[in-house]
Amino acid sequence: MTAALGAHKAGRRRLFLPFFLPAVSLYVLFLLVPTVATVVLGFTSWAGAGDTPRFTGLANFGELLASDSFRFSFLNTLLYIVVGGVGTFLLAFLFTMVLRDMRGGKTVRAILFFPNIVAPVALGMFFGIVLIFRPNRQGLVNFVLESFGIDAVKFLAPENVTWVVTGCLIWASAGFYITILMAAVDRIPPYLYEDADIAGASPWQKFRNITLPLTWDVIGVAGVLWTIGAIKIFELVFVLAGPGTYSPPIQSWTLGVYVFDRSFGTAGSPEYGMACAAAVVMIALVSVLVVMLRRMMRRDSVQF
Amino acid sequence: MTVTAPRVPKPTVPPRVAPRRPRPAPGSRGLSPLRLLGMAFVWLFTAFNILVLYWLLTATFKTPIEIFTKPFALPYQWFERGDPFRNIIYAWSNAGFGRAFLVTVVLVAVSSVAIVLVSAPAAYALTRLGVRGSNGLTNFIAIGMGIPFQTVVIPLFIGMAKLNLTNSLFGMFLVYVALSIPFTVFLLTGFFRSLPDELEEAASIDGASPLRTFFSIMLPLARGGLITALILNAIGLWNETLLALVFLNENANFTLARALFSFYGAASYQSEYGGLIAGVAIVVLPMLVLYVLLARRIITGLTLGAGK
Amino acid sequence: MATVTYDSTTRYYAGNPQPAVDNLDLEVADGEFLVLVGPSGCGKSTTLRMLAGLEGVDGGAIRIGSRDVTNLPPKDRDIAMVFQNYALYPHMTVAENIGFHLKISKMAKSEREERIKEAAELLDLTPYLDRKPAKLSGGQRQRVAMGRAIVRRPQVFCMDEPLSNLDAKLRVQTRTQIASLQRRLGVTTIYVTHDQVEAMTMGDRVAVLKDGVLQQCDTPVGLFGRPANLFVAGFIGSPAMNLIPSTVIGESATVGGRPIPLTRAQRAELTSDKVVVGVRPEGWTIVAEGIDATVDVVEELGSDQYLYCSATTPQIDPTDSPDAPHAITVRTPGMSPWRPGEKLALAPHPGAVHLFDAVTGERLPD
Repeated sequence: MTAALGAHKAGRRRLFLPFFLPAVSLYVLFLLVPTVATVVLGFTSWAGAGDTPRFTGLANFGELLASDSFRFSFLNTLLYIVVGGVGTFLLAFLFTMVLRDMRGGKTVRAILFFPNIVAPVALGMFFGIVLIFRPNRQGLVNFVLESFGIDAVKFLAPENVTWVVTGCLIWASAGFYITILMAAVDRIPPYLYEDADIAGASPWQKFRNITLPLTWDVIGVAGVLWTIGAIKIFELVFVLAGPGTYSPPIQSWTLGVYVFDRSFGTAGSPEYGMACAAAVVMIALVSVLVVMLRRMMRRDSVQF
Repeated sequence: MTVTAPRVPKPTVPPRVAPRRPRPAPGSRGLSPLRLLGMAFVWLFTAFNILVLYWLLTATFKTPIEIFTKPFALPYQWFERGDPFRNIIYAWSNAGFGRAFLVTVVLVAVSSVAIVLVSAPAAYALTRLGVRGSNGLTNFIAIGMGIPFQTVVIPLFIGMAKLNLTNSLFGMFLVYVALSIPFTVFLLTGFFRSLPDELEEAASIDGASPLRTFFSIMLPLARGGLITALILNAIGLWNETLLALVFLNENANFTLARALFSFYGAASYQSEYGGLIAGVAIVVLPMLVLYVLLARRIITGLTLGAGK
Repeated sequence: MATVTYDSTTRYYAGNPQPAVDNLDLEVADGEFLVLVGPSGCGKSTTLRMLAGLEGVDGGAIRIGSRDVTNLPPKDRDIAMVFQNYALYPHMTVAENIGFHLKISKMAKSEREERIKEAAELLDLTPYLDRKPAKLSGGQRQRVAMGRAIVRRPQVFCMDEPLSNLDAKLRVQTRTQIASLQRRLGVTTIYVTHDQVEAMTMGDRVAVLKDGVLQQCDTPVGLFGRPANLFVAGFIGSPAMNLIPSTVIGESATVGGRPIPLTRAQRAELTSDKVVVGVRPEGWTIVAEGIDATVDVVEELGSDQYLYCSATTPQIDPTDSPDAPHAITVRTPGMSPWRPGEKLALAPHPGAVHLFDAVTGERLPD
């Protein structure tokens, strides 16, 4: 009997390669090899198809540092990750405090989650129309502002658009992070909150002493997800800040826009080497931030 | 000292009616300023989302003038002119959304199915075959979720161009399938891991071959997970723009998101806002319908990986 | 310290037209240890949670001392609660857990630490003050939960099945510890359990609930010796009391052909000619001529022996299950030579007979 089972186990092991290989080869071929290629190409000067890459060492990175467009891209990306992240998580925390024992909480969660399944392009266009500044035919927001007697604002002007995108980003992402955190909050045993009620804890004290410490691990994972998502922000900026067909003004760029503009964007001649160098910066940034976040969030695991 | 239950039923007050809503615990509905503020904020935020949806739906049937001067009113100008679906028709036929819709539906459906077909066996192999190093391999694949597409798109484009697979829907299909593997495998390993061992052992004692066990026992058991993976990939690909922007450059091959992207510049230039919003609606509404039908599955699926 | 009064207290749950607690009248004396006991779903936990302020009250009032607390939030009631699952905060140390309530109420740090130390000494927790709950045994966790209640120095302790998560041996040990601690502190205590042994051994008085209605509240001796109705008779005592239906003819009922006389007062109270004769397992004597029975199963406990016999007399089961086998349970001294299949004749001790009205289920006057 055990021999038969053992044979069966061996038989199952033989399934491993045929089952695993198709997926892993696609993964390696389409994700890993191109990533490595990008890293290599980041150290070359290469205009694109028709040109041959020449190794130039760190020259691309020096050029990136010197260029205004890259500086804007890097700082804006960092801003979206940090400010957008802090904003989204503060919002999510506030909601967990209120939603935990609110009637209709499930419906509210479903409504807040909805923007997450809408294409970012569509979101960008929607906000583009809603926020448009055009005297006499204002977008929705300026229409409301003017009807309250407040001056209309040029939301989509280069100097404002980064903050507007941050706001849109927070609005659109909040539902996802609220849902993740609420799922974790729902796993906290209710008697802990009851004990806190007997102690007379305020909502803030309950959050500080129960919700926050007991969802810490999930917050850490959510933070990583946020970083991974925010680093590649592209469509929203591209559509909101620019005319849509070609790149927006450089003040609003992100690293994602930078890579696209230098390779496939229609403005100027392509510089694939520089685009790859910027992509390397993206990978480096996401790795550093994720490692930092994990380090920051590390603590003894809590079981309940 | 002894209290016994009354021998004669108490003179009960006229038949008592249970309250529709029993009283909440004292203090739990206490309206602390913080709570009040939070509640107000939550409701405002929710109301705003509903307003946004209302605006989008009504604007789909409005003229540009109505959109900008009467944002909250119900549409009437196109209705008055007897052409209520004018914007949708414009987007559908003049702006190429009709064809894009078809392309997208087919591409998304075929790709999502292919993704699950490739990922499910891999997830099964990683979780249930007891091969050493499986955990490491799972992490190795999961790392792929953290790679921004921008970092792979240049070499991928060059390579695909060499094989004449750019500006081709088959090439797009390949890219979509391959790049969705990390997320899908990761999601499905969670589902396979949660299945009980006993069933597989019982199947092997009954003499079912490993392959048969997989197809006739494990796959049906993981059906919920497979469907979730299918839906989440369909949503993701439906909304995907960057790769479509890079790999597709002929109108005939455009997906919806790609078509919308191209239409944006032209539409704002010509003030064709009605058609543009109709275009946005064509992209958003199928997802809204899907969401209304499957909200629970979508939400739990998308947040599953993070909660663990 | 204080008394606790339930005054026609009623509680409903959404979607259920039957009240979970129905017109409960109960008075708990200052310093008394009152146990609420009953089968699951009888409303005992609800009763406790209403006192703690974790549930609303839909009718009537609750008073602690002379204070009406019906609408006070939990923190203003001056109570402490020990939860079934202890409700320890997994990320806090034992000391932090014990001191959590004091910290929330903004007590000065020095006084807080003094109280934590005191409670820890009382409960033998001093060596564990820096540990997290996950690193404690079940019994230690239970004591931490107790400690958290003690440091509040409340007027009333509310305990919701605090021993149900311990293994059998530890439960016996802890139950005496809790009882003696309560006597020492003299704090009025309401204790919920489904375990009748816990109820009988710990309580000054025991209140038996069923379907949200108070059946009887009495001392353990009173409850055991004079159960007020069929439910209490069947619920208290293990193995359960034998309840044998009979018909009154003339001045007495008959069980197995032997007359059981009823007093005039008893007959006056009867609503029909049907009675139920209750005899505890230890209330039987084995006689030459009496109720004929056959031994089905012998349960040897060493100190005692229980004989489960089938009798010719039909019997009703207090839990109203008509399928219950018609059995009589008899206690005999341990190591008696009884074997399954043997026949015996039984007669109740004089004075061991409880009489109940078969229709209302109420006890007939003695």
